[in-house]
Amino acid sequence: MSYFYAPPVAKLIEEFEKLPGIGHKTAQRLAFHVLNLSTEKADALASAIRDAKLKTSYCSICSNLTESDPCSVCRDVKRDQSTICVVEDPRDVVALERVREFKGVYHVLHGAISPMEGIGPEDIKIKELIKRVRDADIREVILATNPNVEGEATAMYISKLLKPAGIKTTRIAHGIPVGGDLEYADEVTLAKAMEGRREI
Amino acid sequence: MQIKNLKLRNFRNYSRLDVDFSETFNIIYGNNAQGKTNIIEAIFLCASGRSHRTSRDDEMVKYDSGGFEVNLQLRKRDFDDEIGVLFNTVKNGSEKRKKISINEIPLKRIGDLMGHLNAVIFSPEDLLIVKQGPSERRRFIDITLSQLRPAYFYDLQKYSRILFQRNTLLKRICIQKNLVDTLEVWNKHLVKTGSRIVKARMNFIDRLNVLAGARHEKLTNNEEKLELLYDPSFKITAECSEDEIEDVFYRALIRGKENELRKGTTVIGPHRDDMQVVLNGESTKIYGSQGQQRTAVLSMKLAEIDLMQEESGEFPVLLLDDVLSELDDRRKEFLLDSIGGLQTFITSTDRGFFNRGNDEAAFFYIKNGTMQRN
Repeated sequence: MSYFYAPPVAKLIEEFEKLPGIGHKTAQRLAFHVLNLSTEKADALASAIRDAKLKTSYCSICSNLTESDPCSVCRDVKRDQSTICVVEDPRDVVALERVREFKGVYHVLHGAISPMEGIGPEDIKIKELIKRVRDADIREVILATNPNVEGEATAMYISKLLKPAGIKTTRIAHGIPVGGDLEYADEVTLAKAMEGRREI
Repeated sequence: MQIKNLKLRNFRNYSRLDVDFSETFNIIYGNNAQGKTNIIEAIFLCASGRSHRTSRDDEMVKYDSGGFEVNLQLRKRDFDDEIGVLFNTVKNGSEKRKKISINEIPLKRIGDLMGHLNAVIFSPEDLLIVKQGPSERRRFIDITLSQLRPAYFYDLQKYSRILFQRNTLLKRICIQKNLVDTLEVWNKHLVKTGSRIVKARMNFIDRLNVLAGARHEKLTNNEEKLELLYDPSFKITAECSEDEIEDVFYRALIRGKENELRKGTTVIGPHRDDMQVVLNGESTKIYGSQGQQRTAVLSMKLAEIDLMQEESGEFPVLLLDDVLSELDDRRKEFLLDSIGGLQTFITSTDRGFFNRGNDEAAFFYIKNGTMQRN
């Protein structure tokens, strides 16, 4: 496809095309955008990619992506180090941090159990979580994996491991979005919300 | 509810069609292979989001065109709806998929379509409900229940996802023994969702049994007694609560663990359910004549109408594809009598069978993908 381009350009298009959600046309457009950039800006892009890859690693405590180990959340003495919120993905941490309500710490699994994708408990950071819970003084583990089939299975699996150790294990609530109208909620969400109702 | 208008573009052998329907009988007639059933198919597509004859959407696209469009205007008791189905065979950035909209607002999930247009279809293929294996009967139950209760449809989708994950896991355990630890999680998952499906089916078949029995008695002049019995893959009784079903299901899974590991697939659960159709105490599948089987299915379909009317307070539309010609005069008359008040679409090779006043019906002549009202 990129046969008629000069080899360096063809290579760039090819690399863009490997990215998720990018097809051949978009790859070409991106490549030509990069070619039109000034040298400094092109350098900035290249070094941003290198830095993101080389200067970040997994936090040795919570497995989140971090520049310094342990990460800023795990180092923060003002945070409650005995409450762990378990999420599937670093982006979930960002979403929860935006809320500014949660004062505990996180544990990032980097995935969910899914036999059809060949992901078992060994392939995500469950071992690390168990070790962490055993070694430190943990009071509560909040399971905030996604409310789909795989996320539920992962939450169930972790709670099965933690419950015998006598650690309080909770699952985040599912239901109606705040500020939303009941009439626009889908049936499953409504059914879940009814199931998880509370006395006021 | 009534269908006011149907528009087709590049659907099967129709390039374009725009037709207004009668609120009572709509007789669609013409020679073989002219496109009568395609009209029924288009209506059913708007009711359920899929065809009644094929699971492949591209089969419904007119030859040599890039996709089809179906638009249907609906009058209900309190408001009007417009349902649109759009399908493109050419990949257009996004994936190749049906787009369904209601009043021009696209639906995120096909499940959201359920309940907008309730349709009961009776076509020659429906005889398979009695003749064939359990999967045909599950299909009948699932389609009807999904129209009645959208939440059931979501449970089904979730169940099949869990089932697929669990089956993959069972196969993987042979290679990777330590994965057996995670089986318990999928057991619980399967049991929770599966039991809701079992409970819903149990209640449904119970009600259908009463209604179909009554219909069948009338249809056969009290000569035959029809019974529909739920036959789940594990032993439960009609009084079981959802918790009790979960318990029985779970214990059956534990007992069958070694067997499932050997086979590498889940052998217990609602995906193995069946429904027995019993005529005068004997299995219709084995002992029923062709005519008896047809009448039994007809009674089930009429019961389906009763059930939908009970649930929603509104009558569904009835689609009769090529079935009237196969019934004897008495059963035909009884059928036409008992569906009074419903908007009905009937396909047939001739119009002569309909011996009632023409003011009760609209006639549409179909020839090679065109329609003429007369």
